[in-house]
This record gives sequence, C-alpha cells and structure tokens, in this order.
Amino acid sequence: MINSNEIIDDIANKEYEFGFSTDIEMDMAPPGLNEDIIRFISAKKNEPEWLLEWRLKGFAAFKKMEFPKWQHFEMPELDLQALSYYAAPKKKVQLNSLDEVDPELLATFAKLGIPLNEQKALTGVAVDAVFDSVSVATTFKGKLKEMGVIFCSFGEAVQEHPDLVKKYLGSVVPHTDNIFAALNAAVFSDGSFVYIPKGVRCPMELSTYFRINAQNTGQFERTLIIADDNSYVSYLEGCTAPMRDENQLHAAVVELVAMEHAEIKYSTVQNWYPGDKDGKGGIYNFVTKRGICKGTASKISWTQVETGSAITWKYPSVILQGDHSEGEFYSVAVVRNKQIADTGTKIHHIGKGTKSRIISKGISAGRGDNSYRGLVSVGPRADNARNFTQCDSLLIGNQCGSHTFPYIESRNKTAMIEHEATTSKIGEDQIFYLNQRGIDSEKTVALIVNGYVKEVLNQLPMEFAVEAQKLLSITLEGSVG
Amino acid sequence: MTSDMILPFYQALTEDVNALSAQVPALATDTLQDIRRKALERFSTIGLPTLKTEAWRYTNIQRYLKEFPYELLTTAAAVAEDVVNSTAIPELDCYRVVLVNGHLQADQSTLPEGKGITIGAMSANTTATGFVTYFNEQQHLAAESMAQLNTALFADGLYIELAANTVVDKPIHVVNVYSCTAHAFIQPRHLWVLNRNAAATIIETSIHPETATIAFANSVLETVVMENAELWHYNIQQGAESFREVHTTAAQQHKDSRYHHFNFTLPNTPFTRNNLSVALKGSHTETNLNGLYIASKHQHVDNHTFMDHIMPDCNSNELYKGVLLDSSNGVFTGKILVHQEAQKTNAFQQNNNLLLGTKADINSQPQLEIYADDVKCSHGFTAGQFSEESMFYLRSRGIGEDAAKALMVNAFSHDITDAVKVPALQHFLQEQIAEIMNN
Repeated sequence: MINSNEIIDDIANKEYEFGFSTDIEMDMAPPGLNEDIIRFISAKKNEPEWLLEWRLKGFAAFKKMEFPKWQHFEMPELDLQALSYYAAPKKKVQLNSLDEVDPELLATFAKLGIPLNEQKALTGVAVDAVFDSVSVATTFKGKLKEMGVIFCSFGEAVQEHPDLVKKYLGSVVPHTDNIFAALNAAVFSDGSFVYIPKGVRCPMELSTYFRINAQNTGQFERTLIIADDNSYVSYLEGCTAPMRDENQLHAAVVELVAMEHAEIKYSTVQNWYPGDKDGKGGIYNFVTKRGICKGTASKISWTQVETGSAITWKYPSVILQGDHSEGEFYSVAVVRNKQIADTGTKIHHIGKGTKSRIISKGISAGRGDNSYRGLVSVGPRADNARNFTQCDSLLIGNQCGSHTFPYIESRNKTAMIEHEATTSKIGEDQIFYLNQRGIDSEKTVALIVNGYVKEVLNQLPMEFAVEAQKLLSITLEGSVG
Repeated sequence: MTSDMILPFYQALTEDVNALSAQVPALATDTLQDIRRKALERFSTIGLPTLKTEAWRYTNIQRYLKEFPYELLTTAAAVAEDVVNSTAIPELDCYRVVLVNGHLQADQSTLPEGKGITIGAMSANTTATGFVTYFNEQQHLAAESMAQLNTALFADGLYIELAANTVVDKPIHVVNVYSCTAHAFIQPRHLWVLNRNAAATIIETSIHPETATIAFANSVLETVVMENAELWHYNIQQGAESFREVHTTAAQQHKDSRYHHFNFTLPNTPFTRNNLSVALKGSHTETNLNGLYIASKHQHVDNHTFMDHIMPDCNSNELYKGVLLDSSNGVFTGKILVHQEAQKTNAFQQNNNLLLGTKADINSQPQLEIYADDVKCSHGFTAGQFSEESMFYLRSRGIGEDAAKALMVNAFSHDITDAVKVPALQHFLQEQIAEIMNN
C-alpha cells in the first residue's frame, strides 16, 4: 500500500513539477509509423470515422509500396520509422528585437526587400501593436466570408465542411498514387482548404493572408482547393525568405479541382534550406501536386520558383478532363552547390480541344544537378488538342549537370504537339558586352538570368515577382568568376 | 529475371548455345565460348525486356516473341537467284554481298577486290586484327539484353575490314535474305572496321521470301570508324508481313571521322525495333543520323538512338521523321549524353511525326543528359497533321486529296531523302515512298 501511494504521489508531483509544459510533451507522439500512431493523430484532431478509415487505407497502400528507382539522383536513405508523426506546434523562441537576429539573415531580407514587420514575423520577433497579425487576418477573413469563400486550415475544414472535404479529398491524388502520397494520406498533419463558390472571383491573392498566418504547417501538409463554376482564385504558397526547418523530409500533397469555366492559379516560391556546400543537411522536398480541370473551359496554371531544398522532386500535373480546358506550367528551378532538382509536369489531354503550355527554365551552377522530366499525353478522345513545351537549361560552371527527359504520347491524329529543349551556357560575348559597359560579372549574370526566366516570373503575382527576381540574384551570387 | 510466360523459350535458347559450338567450330574458340557464356549470363541477369524496362516502355517485345513457336535457326538454305535479283536497286552500280540468315553466299555475291579490302564471313575471319580487337567491344551492347542474346547465339555474319587509306570505289549492297521452312529465330552478327583514312558506302536491304513461315531476326552490327575514316551506311527495311526484326547497330568513331547513318523503315513488317548507338571516342568527329519511318496497318516501329559524346569538339545531328498511317504505332527515343570532358559539343536532335491514321499513335522520348557546360545542345519534337492551308492550296489547284497527301508526304520526307548521296538509291527511295502513298 505504501508503495502504491508513493507512486501516486510521484506522479502527482511530476505533473505539478512540469506544469504547463507537460501538456506540450503529451502532444508529442513517439517516433515510429504504425496504425496506432495514425489512430492517435486522427483522435487528436477529432476526426470523423471516415477520415480515419481513409488514413488507414493510405497506410495499407504505403506498406505495399517501395521507393521508386527511376529518378535521376541517388535516393537518400530515409528512415521513416525514426520520424515522429505528430507534434503540436512548437513554441518559437521569442526574440525581443531584430538586433538579436542573425545578421546574415537580415542582410538577405534587406536584399529581398521584405517589409520590416514581416521580417519580424518570419524570424520570430515579437510583433508590436501596430502590426497585429490577428486583426489583419480577421479583416481578411471577414471579407472572404462575405463572399462565401471558405479558406481555413484543413483541420477546421474537416470539422466545419465535412461534406466538401469528403467529396474531394483524394479525388485528384488518390491514397494509392505514389509512396509519398500514401504516406501523406496516412499521417497528414494539417494544411489549407479553399472553396470558391460559383461565380465568385476571389478578391485577393490568398497568399497575403497565408504568408502572415500559416507558419509551421508541418512536413506532411495537405492542400485542397476547389473552384466551383465560373470562379477564380490565385493562391501562393511558400515565400522567398530562407526557411529553416527541422524536418528533413517534406511530403506534401496538393489537390486542385476546377469546375466549369473556373480558373485556379497556383504559385509556389520555395526556398527551403538547401544544406551546406557539400550537400549535408537540407530539405528533401518530395511533393505530389496535381490539378484536375473537371469542367468545360476550366483552367489550372502552376507557377513555381524553386531555389531551395537539397532535393526538389515534384511534378505539378494537370488532368485536362473537361472539353476546351487549359493547363499551364511555368517553372524556374535553380540548383547550386550539391543541390538536386528533378522536376517537371505531367499534362493529360482527355477532353476535346484541350490546350497546354509548358515553360521550364532550369539553371544549374556549382555541382548542382537539374532535370526536367515531363509527360504530355493526348488521349484518343482529345480531338484538336494542342501542346507547346519549351524547356531550356542554363549551365553555369563545368561541374553541373542539366538533363531533359520528356515523354510525349499522342493517340489522336488531330492533336498538335510541339516540344523544344535547349541547353547552353551564358555566352562569353554576352558577358563581355555587359562588362565592357561597366557592369561587373556578378550583376551581368543576374541580368542575363533574369532575362532568361522573365517569361516565368511574369506569371507570378506582382509583389512576388519582384522578390523572386532578387532571390535568383542572391542564389547565384558567387557562382561566376 | 525472365518472366514465366517466356521461360520455355528461354530454356530452349540456353540449350542452343551448347549445341552451337559443334555447328560452327570457327566461332567456338575458347575466347569466343567465354564471350558467349558471359553474354548468356548477362542475358539471364537482365532478362528479356518487359514494359517496365525503361528502354522498352512503349514496345512489348514479348508479345511478338510469343506470337509464334520460334526455333533458333543457325543454318542457311540455298535461295533462288531471282529472289536475290529482285532486291536489286535499279541503275545502281555496286558490289553485291548476299547473306542468307547471316551466312555469306560467295557464289551469288560480287565482292570488291583489291589491296586492303577484307570482306567475308565472320567465321572465316576470327583471327583478323579487327575481329580480335573490336568484336563485342562496344560497351553499349552490354545494356541491351537482345544484343547479349545475339552474342550468345550468333551463327555467322559479315566481316568487313578496310586497311588504312583504302577507299571502296563503288557502294557495297548487302542483301540480307532471311529464309526458313519453320518459324525461325535468326541471329546474324556483323562487324565492319574502317581503318585510318578508309571510306566506304554500304547499303543494306533485306528480304524474306516465304509468306507462310515467320522469320524473327535479332541482328547486331558493330561498326568501327577509325581516324579520319568515313562511312555512309544506309539501312533500308522494306519489310514483309512474315518478318519481325530487332536490329542493333553499335558504332564507334575515332578522331576526325565521319559517320552517316540512314535508316528507312517502310511498311509491312509488323514489328521493327532499331537500336542505334554511337560512341564518340575521338575529337572533331561528325555524326549524322537520319531516319524515316513510314508505318501502316498494325505496324509497330521503334527507333531507339543513343548519341554518346565522350570527347570534346564533336558535332552530331540527328533527324528522324515519321509518317504513321492506319493503326500503326511509332516510338522514338533519342538520348544525347554529353560527358563532362566533352566540352564544345554541338548536338542537335529533331523528331517530327505526321499522324495520318485515325488510330495511329506516337510515343517519343527525346532526352538530353548533359554534364559539360560549354555546349550547344537541343532537341525538338512535333506531332501533328498537314497544315490546312497547304492542303487547301493544293486542292484549290485541282489536285485530288490523295495526290495532295502523297505530295505532302514526299515533301515531308524530302529532308531525309535529299541527304542520300547515292543518286540511284535516292531515286529508288522516292519511288518507294510515292508508291506507298498512292496505295
């Protein structure tokens, strides 16, 4: 009896001892991937039974799959059992002023031209009263709500709009799609949910709000965007500021659904930690992104600027199911040091009169390795389908690699497909011309590179286009000369 | 791994390798037996290609291998003179080499003679310097299981070696006759070596006279073009309904050499796969790869090319054009690999396709893999239709639809036929194309 009393006392004391922080400890799941963890995550998020079942189906599919072998890089060793699949948002260390922030980071911010308040938000400095992110968010939220736009975290959507989530979740990227999508289906933490009702043109770039609020969405995020008939939305994820993250593997899933005459514009600026000069550390960005143009004359456009991550491996795709629907893919991928990018797109022409346009610009510097891999497939029903693809590569330095692996499949004689790819370096004559006019080599390269990628950057929302341009110059700093 | 369905076939092949040595003792020396054994081992490791083999993702070869109960055929039968004569290219002044199932028929051939020209059966030249140095030397063959199978099983083939500074005055017309009385699997193996400053033009055609028995040829040709040598190689696959073909050409080029390869695949043969690889082992070379494929009915034509830029300062141009009629399938893979040492490389590749059949399709994989920075490389691909304006222009001038189509196909293939440097051959090919389009 005495013994058990002692234990009870011990436990009581312990709880007291750790107080508030104990709660956070309890929200941390032990490392490992199994059904219990999935049930635990689902319970923590108070999810309905069907969602738990879907997660378990994803896990069952995951167990049957192996890591792919076809990619053009050596697959890093991933110990998925060593990861912890659930953690409540960690409290960031709060700094009192920007003086305490790493000066190198501040210099980068200054070059990018990020406003002071956002700099504070990004580095975790306590935000002053003038810039109250909560109130800004509330204003935005109110405006969106007025128009019927649903924009919330995935968890919130599951609670408040279960029908919509149930209808569209996994409809574009099924839980059996690939091993990372299966893993994501099983353990996804949170993410964003967007629904634009019929006939609504979303009044703002959803990025603005996202950028202030949605920090720390975790390594297995899941985004679902649905644009109903005649609606329009522009969504931007990521940001130009260098992001450091403790999670090495990022396996997100993004699903887009465009109904009749709807348009979704999805832009990504990715600048995750690329690792050190020898490629140690750095994020593995293995993301599955796919959109479906379900309705007639719908349109999905992907724009991506990828400068970060040790390995970027993703193929934002479009299924052109509706007749006369349109898909676009604009990409800039920059690799330096030992970074690897294996990225591109897949466009499936299914409906009649479908159109697609692919513009991919790869830049390789240092010992980076950049691959464009893409599929354009035209089905037998896709009469008068039209595709134009251009993928250009720019090589800076003689130790980098640049590769193009397109797959083109046409089953319709009325389809017109054009594909073009070029690889070259920056001409010495071009550098000489600009040098001779008093522009130093570094600025010369920045100028030429910016001209080279302009076609893609023009697709970004304006303020990000400016930042992305600066980001490219910074990324390539020191690559030449 | 060999898939279960093809297993009996595979077992039969293994037994055949052992039986072979008794048949052609000259090709069963210790060295060759060793090479054959290794090739068979390699073949059993990689196995027959499946749709999951990246290089064969659009071509299901097992489907064609299982179609008929093939037996390995290693011998030749006499072929009537008029069959051989029917393959003659009108008004072409040339030497003639007749091969039946890969075996040289000296009495039906007119071989070039003269100092420095060695031309004969592989089995008669196993001690020649070229054979000893270059046989099975091409690394690109190692990755291709069908080529490994050929190495293990070949019974004979054509050996050509031109000594330094030897120029053959007339084109050599190689007539490949595939003749069999039962469905046969035939493995010819050739090696052509052009030493320093040598030059030759070689035209290959093939014929399978029987219609009741199916011949499946799995041939391998190795060509070596040494310093400053020049080879023009035309391969014309006229085809027959009762013929299937996997044709592997592995070429290597040395300093300052020129290599021009033409591949014409014309209708009828239900299944054709051409593997073509060129390894550039010296600087300042020039390579032109030209291809034209016109496919009809349920024909499947797969052209798989690989330009391997190993050394700096080389130029390569590749142009493949396809016309796909009826329910035919076209496949094109073009890989350009530029190694890190291969600076100042210019490598261009183009693949254009006309899809004319309602059920025709095309799958294309133009690939660039580049590890050097001071290079100019590009590839282009198109698939589509005649432009409506051009059709309208011709029709408005009173030209019927079919005639207009034939005219347009002729124009489309002109880029390739125009590059043919032998006038009689050029004329012959243009006639062939016109005839196909008029039917």
